[in-house]
Amino acid sequence: MGPYDSSVSAGSSSSSGSSSSCSGKPADTIDGLLAGAGYRVRSSELRQVAQRLARLETVMVNAPTEVSHLANDAVHYNPSDLASWVDSLLSELHQPEIAPDPSTFSDLNYIAHTQAGHVLVNPMVSHRELSAGTEIEEDSGIRLVHVLMTCAESVHRGELSLAASLIEELQGLLTSVDGERGIGKVAGYFIDALSRRVFAPQGASLADSAFENAVLYHHFYEACPYLKFAHFTANQAILEAFSGHDCVHVIDFNLMHGLQWPALIQALALRPGGPPLLRLTGIGPPSPDGHDSLREIGLRLAELARSVNVRFAFRGVAASRLDDVKPWMLQVNPKEVVAVNSIMQLHKLLGSDPSRGSPIDPVLGWIRNLNPKIVMVVEQEANHNQPEFLDRFTEALHYYSTMFDSLEAYSAQLEKSLAEIYIQREICNVVCCEGLARVERHEPLVKWRDRLGGAGFTSLHLGSNAFKQASMLLALFSAEGYCVEENEGCLTLGWHSRPLIAASAWQAMPNIHSHE
Amino acid sequence: MVNLLQNGDVCMEELKEETPMFCINDNEDVLVEILRRLDGRSLGSAACVCKMWCGIARNDALWEHLCFRHVSPPPSGVRPVVMALGGYRRLYMVCVRPVLSRLGRMRVRVGGGESDLVSRVWTRQEVELSLSLFCVDYYERLLGGGGKLGDAPASSLIFLCKTVNV
Repeated sequence: MGPYDSSVSAGSSSSSGSSSSCSGKPADTIDGLLAGAGYRVRSSELRQVAQRLARLETVMVNAPTEVSHLANDAVHYNPSDLASWVDSLLSELHQPEIAPDPSTFSDLNYIAHTQAGHVLVNPMVSHRELSAGTEIEEDSGIRLVHVLMTCAESVHRGELSLAASLIEELQGLLTSVDGERGIGKVAGYFIDALSRRVFAPQGASLADSAFENAVLYHHFYEACPYLKFAHFTANQAILEAFSGHDCVHVIDFNLMHGLQWPALIQALALRPGGPPLLRLTGIGPPSPDGHDSLREIGLRLAELARSVNVRFAFRGVAASRLDDVKPWMLQVNPKEVVAVNSIMQLHKLLGSDPSRGSPIDPVLGWIRNLNPKIVMVVEQEANHNQPEFLDRFTEALHYYSTMFDSLEAYSAQLEKSLAEIYIQREICNVVCCEGLARVERHEPLVKWRDRLGGAGFTSLHLGSNAFKQASMLLALFSAEGYCVEENEGCLTLGWHSRPLIAASAWQAMPNIHSHE
Repeated sequence: MVNLLQNGDVCMEELKEETPMFCINDNEDVLVEILRRLDGRSLGSAACVCKMWCGIARNDALWEHLCFRHVSPPPSGVRPVVMALGGYRRLYMVCVRPVLSRLGRMRVRVGGGESDLVSRVWTRQEVELSLSLFCVDYYERLLGGGGKLGDAPASSLIFLCKTVNV
């Protein structure tokens, strides 16, 4: 009986038989030099043990999380029997010969399996199946989602002590999946959000400074095409609406760095008949330290407009909430044609204050009273405003898993991490916050259609130019998997047939009756 | 027998009479005509030959011709805008070349039989998209440099530099 009769089957199988079948070697001599150091290793096994030690070192260097998991175990191995010590450690660290291929299973499969209840969750991982490293990864992933949903359910029912212990279990489970990608990464963010909700409800929403937000937004713009799609589609529709007009005014509900506007300015510069006079009113949060970030962005845009010979005027409106903006602040001139541009802003108005009701209705009212030629609305295509916590949680898990999936293709690590933090803030808001603090109240396109229709707007079809442009833009991205779809005149951008963001254009319905 | 020497000289071997040597470097207009017909990569290589060729090859008019010689119909009024945003050479390097190669590859895969990118005819929309992306590049450099223009491609266009994962 030799040390290789143990459960290790991966990796060592090629050399495990040699100790019993080799001939002509002094198989049972203990190496003298190592014995002096306290290690008993057979001379015939020296080479194999050395190879395995090298592999153990590689595994420990590459997977420090798994090693710390090991450090918490109370099992002790006897290192003087070096050969079996190395083998036991390698088996503990689940090191298969072939690296697991996580891309064969999308995260949604885990969720689907768990929800359908078809998978028997087996938390006891069999060490005998080491060569199927992928299977272990799958099992852990499925179990992770299962416990995550159970935890969300307990939060939903108000059983916070149960939720707290489930969160601890989840944090333990996280160590056995790859936290850098796939289900591990998404689950990590949701576990973090749940633990904020359970353990620190007061400080639940991540403190956001406007500056940080703008930086994160910029990296989100770079790492994936959702914002670019929004900007380019909106610009195309606005350009078409402005055709033939000489005095145009764009009202941007969230200026940020003004990344949307250079392309519109350039397109207006090159339009047949020459550029119009363009006024841009940018709404944004007030800057804390007296330095006027809105004005700075306005200056840069003005510089660009001047270089391409477009007459341009900028006005900044600082408001921390959109419903603080009053229409007189926008100074709309009756002779100019107005375009309202709202990229992921309207959903923030859906929360309702018991005394004042929902701010969305008065805001839609004054937008309509501006008589805009076009109102561009781009919103997340998700149902994160349901009254029941569990429904919101489940929907958010699907939505953000898909979004993280699409992000995986982007390779610049720093930008990707910052974009992920941007998404993480949204997740935290959806999961942790309630009442007026919860601003990420995403609703799907069908609901926006009803809402906008009821507020006196009719839908404008985004033409084929917008569709072609969006398709080309997508073709330029390295990841294949994005898809643009047309949905009754609106465009949606999604990942693998799950739409994630929807763009629609509206105009004020003409008043049929002359009096109410 | 005609030989093209390393320094651009063209010389005839085995001449019986005295004929003046034709040196391309003395005939800039001919050189420009030749360079006008090259594709982007060759034009870039030509710029590495010597200082004189570098100066000529960097002439924005050559790159303008390269960007739009196959565009049908040719865009009008574009030049002042492109010059203001950084010039045709930059437009080609930052936007036109990656856009053409990506979209060209898509087309070839979809089944258009053209393998020669240079002879592809641009659609108006591809031109417009390239120009818009170029404008975004200019603006981001404006933002990043605090008002001064840097040279590196702006961050949101870096995606154009990566190869397509097929």
